[in-house]
Amino acid sequence: MGKVKIKKKETRIDMTAMSDVTVLLLTFFMLTSTFLQKEPVTVITPPSVSEEKVPDANLLSVLVSPEGKIFLEVLGSKDSTYKSETVRADLLKNMAAEYNKTHANKVSFNAKQVDAFSKQNAFGVPMSKMAQWLDLPTDERDKALEEGPGIPINMNENPDTPNEFQMWIRAAYNSVNAELKESMVKGRGIAIKADQTTPYSVVNVVMDNLQTMKMNKFTLMTALKSEEE
Amino acid sequence: MAKNKSRQKKFDTRIDFTPMVDMNMLLITFFMLCTTMIKSQTLQIALPTNEKVDIEQQNKVKQSEAVTIIIDGKLDDNGLSKPDEGMLYYFDGMPPTGEELKNLVNSNPMKQVEFGNKTGGALPAIREILQERNKDVVKKITELKKDWKEMKFSNNEEKNDSIYQVKAREIRNDSTLKRPVVIIKATPNASYAHVVSVLDEMAINSISRYQIDRIGAVDSAMMILLQGQQTK
Repeated sequence: MGKVKIKKKETRIDMTAMSDVTVLLLTFFMLTSTFLQKEPVTVITPPSVSEEKVPDANLLSVLVSPEGKIFLEVLGSKDSTYKSETVRADLLKNMAAEYNKTHANKVSFNAKQVDAFSKQNAFGVPMSKMAQWLDLPTDERDKALEEGPGIPINMNENPDTPNEFQMWIRAAYNSVNAELKESMVKGRGIAIKADQTTPYSVVNVVMDNLQTMKMNKFTLMTALKSEEE
Repeated sequence: MAKNKSRQKKFDTRIDFTPMVDMNMLLITFFMLCTTMIKSQTLQIALPTNEKVDIEQQNKVKQSEAVTIIIDGKLDDNGLSKPDEGMLYYFDGMPPTGEELKNLVNSNPMKQVEFGNKTGGALPAIREILQERNKDVVKKITELKKDWKEMKFSNNEEKNDSIYQVKAREIRNDSTLKRPVVIIKATPNASYAHVVSVLDEMAINSISRYQIDRIGAVDSAMMILLQGQQTK
């Protein structure tokens, strides 16, 4: 009698092809990704129909929290001539010089503090507390930034007695990176990023300060409108 | 004598790739979650200088061309604006002065619309108003858009786009057409989202001349007067 021969099937699947695909995908994501930058406040920008993209270089963004705290972020040039780190270190130096012009208690930073500052994506502490803040370990620094008061700002229309926010703007304008200055003059270099629930009075203070510093052209960051008519 | 049989063990040459795939999948998930694919958009605005300018130097806005829009909002308990609540006030011409001011109670030029849902709120209403004021430009732009969609300027898509952009800008800045000047003002309680959406309407309706200004005493007086008339 003929025996029914059960064919023994191989249960293992060849994973080589699968592995190929995943490696490809991985390469794609690694090359295209720009990492989400850590920001001290999460803001949801209001939608608009504008299709102009945010520049990814030579940009000074002003982050405005709904409560009116101000933080700044600086991006260097696209190529590696003026990396964000270089620009930030230079910015702190300029700012210290600006600050010492009008304040009796002078500030100065050591190499370690400047290095810490250049690695920080967003910043926003009063200059009197800056050195102290930069001495904190990295994780505590982020927390202190979130809980801190932000960059001091007020309604000030006299450019000869600038507040700290205006000093930062001036320091960025005098940056070693000439491209940043150029894009600030053209109006592409300053972007205000504010939450949609922010009262206008808060944003108005920022706009007014920029106006005082003769930075009349700037951009507002918005998200893409989801529905199109 | 036992034969020294050297038995060669046959190795399986295939390597199991499953752990490799597992690891890759993990890495992909990580990169997918950490990347920002969507870049924010920007809205470019230019404010006038706040240096003292001679009144004569200031280019006077014609009474017939000016439209003033005032955005008002409500604050919640945390001092934040409510993005879905607010009021929009508008009137034609410049703020009333002198004699007109005395007659304000009887002839208040200001009208109001509520920021409601998307279909029947302030934005569609203001769009209609602006389109009516800017109809010459809107008409020309619509014609231009039709040509652009049919690729009449060039067969090359990119070239077609750039020619369209240049022509559209020419139309928007054409001083022979009747174009409104929109003055946007916002009360301190207005939400940022509303200000941006009104600025957005300028782009939608091809209005080239608009400015953000501070709210004045006359504006506030008109608003209070209007609110008073509403509650009566």
